Amino acid sequence: MKRSKRFEKLEKMPINQDGFAYEWEEAGLVAMDSPYDPLPGVKVENGVIVEMDGIRREDFDSLDRYIADYGIDAAAAEASMAIDSLEIAKMLVDINVPREEIVRICCGCTPAKLVEIVRHLNVVEIMMAQMKMRTRKTPANQAHATNLDDNPVLIAADAAEEAARGFAELETTCALARYAPFNAMALMIGAQAGRAGVLNQCSMEEATELALGMRGFTSYAETLSVYGTETVLIDGGDTAYSKAFLASAYASRGIKIRYTSGTGSEVLMGNAERKSMLYLEARCLLLTRACGVQGVQNGSINAIPLVAAVPDGFRAIAAENLMASMLNIEVASGNDTAFTHSDFRRGAKLMMQFMPGTDYVTSGYGGIPNFDNVFAGSNQDCDDYDDWYTLQRDMRVDGGIHPITEEEALAVRSRAAKAMQAVFSGLGLPEISDEEVEAAAYAYSYKDMPARNKAKDMKAAENMMERGITAIDIIKILFESGFEDIAENVMNLLKQRVTGDYLHTASFLDENFKVHSAVNDRNDYMGPGTGYRLSGERWEKLKEKTNALRPQDI
Amino acid sequence: MSIVIKEKGISGPGTDSREIIAALSPAFGTLIKKNITDIDLGDILKEIAAGIEEEGMKCRFIKVYDSTDLAVIAAAGSSLSGSGISVALQSRGTTVIHQKGRVPLDNLELFPQSPLYSLEIFRKIGKNAAKYGRGENPEPVEILNDYMVPSKYLIKSTLMHFKEGEAMDRERKPVDLEVEF
Amino acid sequence: MVKLDADKDYPLFEKHPEYIRTFTGKSLDDISIDNIKSGMLTADDCRISPETLELQAQIQESFGNPQVAMNFRRAAEMTAIPDERILEIYNAMRPGISTKKELLEIADELEREYSAKMNAQLIREAAEVYEKRDMLRRKND
Repeated sequence: MKRSKRFEKLEKMPINQDGFAYEWEEAGLVAMDSPYDPLPGVKVENGVIVEMDGIRREDFDSLDRYIADYGIDAAAAEASMAIDSLEIAKMLVDINVPREEIVRICCGCTPAKLVEIVRHLNVVEIMMAQMKMRTRKTPANQAHATNLDDNPVLIAADAAEEAARGFAELETTCALARYAPFNAMALMIGAQAGRAGVLNQCSMEEATELALGMRGFTSYAETLSVYGTETVLIDGGDTAYSKAFLASAYASRGIKIRYTSGTGSEVLMGNAERKSMLYLEARCLLLTRACGVQGVQNGSINAIPLVAAVPDGFRAIAAENLMASMLNIEVASGNDTAFTHSDFRRGAKLMMQFMPGTDYVTSGYGGIPNFDNVFAGSNQDCDDYDDWYTLQRDMRVDGGIHPITEEEALAVRSRAAKAMQAVFSGLGLPEISDEEVEAAAYAYSYKDMPARNKAKDMKAAENMMERGITAIDIIKILFESGFEDIAENVMNLLKQRVTGDYLHTASFLDENFKVHSAVNDRNDYMGPGTGYRLSGERWEKLKEKTNALRPQDI
Repeated sequence: MSIVIKEKGISGPGTDSREIIAALSPAFGTLIKKNITDIDLGDILKEIAAGIEEEGMKCRFIKVYDSTDLAVIAAAGSSLSGSGISVALQSRGTTVIHQKGRVPLDNLELFPQSPLYSLEIFRKIGKNAAKYGRGENPEPVEILNDYMVPSKYLIKSTLMHFKEGEAMDRERKPVDLEVEF
Repeated sequence: MVKLDADKDYPLFEKHPEYIRTFTGKSLDDISIDNIKSGMLTADDCRISPETLELQAQIQESFGNPQVAMNFRRAAEMTAIPDERILEIYNAMRPGISTKKELLEIADELEREYSAKMNAQLIREAAEVYEKRDMLRRKND
């Protein structure tokens, strides 16, 4: 066939390098409606759920049982289930129905019912509902700070810049697991050098992550994965009961947590039991509620290339974020994984959470170049800051971050790197040279950093844990080496852990360590003129653009 | 495939402290013969074994049937390994170096992006596993990262994982393999 | 004592700092740079107390999340359990790791040593469910 020049060009467009698939229900490769999804239903006897979505209690698996016993409000269940799903869907987009009323109803719903409700909504309705249902009034954002060499000086500098840009939470992880103590410590010091009160986590294997938290190197945790089938939950090395225990273990040390779930993860793990991705996610969310965990990171997360490959994928992802909010759970709404070659497509995906706002618009904006992102790349990276800021300015939307000047960025980066140098020296860890400090301040990526001896670093990190070093030791060294402000910030984080205010739903801390959560910053959206409105100083800040003209410039 | 694999009996704990175990996933070499970028799985095993032997250690191959999860396969391998070190491989090419005593999801070195690894990398993985086995603390193999890998390969990798699931048998213990190069 | 209310009493740090005592009975003001410099403050002094977790549980209860309140109350019991032991128990609760007897022994230990009734109950229930769903350690392993 003689080729059309236009079709030839189209084939070469970035979008056509993405992977796509049709639905395959038998494998669970279907976004939000599988013929094998159960029909909603509930039976309650003597306050106990004895049948849920067509399964009788004696046939419950461990996940069904935990959800039925703890996740669903049995007293409200029959009344909630009796309301037509279409009616509830309409309430979600009705500005006259308060959020609290919908939460009350949804907390009595089974997984199949929740899915049936959101299936009635198109994407614009989902976004409207999301704006109204997110738990906290003020939106916030989270960033990743990692690098391929696990260079701790660079992590600290990157964390400082991200904190200064307004991210309320920072997350790191390691290319090499044995680096975890250094990366966690670097992120904490960098964050507190950039902006007081920023929360920090280090995503690792469950027990390691908890151990880092106990030492005071992290202030929250997020990588507590749950799955919607019993088999996959077990393959992931957990049960509903072990996960509930782990959740309380964190709270017992004053550490905030959220779970991680997301559509498509069960397919990836090879056991979706022919159910739709969204139905399985509804089970994850009820499990989260059952365990008493305040929040969730969902929105497909690392399975997004799979969910985006099937029809209705974006809608399912927006719907799962919404379902979390309907259950009064904090949502950190994904947008944290590179899934497409097309800038057009990744921008469109982001808008579904960016425009309505969620508790954390992304659960990991890559504040580093994507090639340095050990989470395998985010939907946005450090090259996209001006795009993000411009969209905030264009739409008068608060995406949780604000522009900073180059001077501000360099100042906090440099100070964070110097603080790391002092702490490494004070703890007797492998030296951080002046050359490294200088490089970290100006670096774009790991390629700009002098190489460190990784084997030696990892040995020292292990040794530091064996010596029982805690945040207290770090505070002392910071203070004695002239970083009094950072020392005080790290200490104030410990005070928050003693107080427990930030364990509540959808919290973040501002620069005065004042907590903002769904409890004291409730989303009160009831239509135009209500809810979060971008105005005043904050709007002035988000308008800033270095290359925008003023009348006096002409 | 460039090699012949025969199953022997149920794997027992190793007694030779020079032994490194290479633990293979359920479909490795049977239902699946090439990795995600069509590298022959036999060639990959040759490199792993050569790397281990170059450092003066011995390679014992086992097949783990009761899980498709790389971490579980690796932990099964290191628990049987005479040196306490295992290299675990899934058919798609995802690889990990694991040490006895660490929980399954903890590891010494992880190679999560299967499409990026050449045969040269697998040789280095073998060498490093051997060095850990000797009690050394080697400089890790270089980290490769391509954030567009999932968007290109995730569907294929999921389909390959389904195959692993077909070959999985939860009741079956790990077995020793005889590998003829 | 009157139960705390989400609207009136939260955040505790601003509204009721006087209610807060750390795990070792220190006040918030005791967490100071001076005390850290002089070595008077240990990591345990900077841990949340069971009493504070109970107050936070009351706030979540009035906020409409009884499950979160229950989590905080389990956590309150756990403050007495050492870090190492918590990590061990968590690993023991993972699927395929423990026998029913081992789990029940942990439950007894929690009740006996730490008065951790809710946690003991959780583990007993886990033991029952694990048995039914083949999630205990296999006999020969």
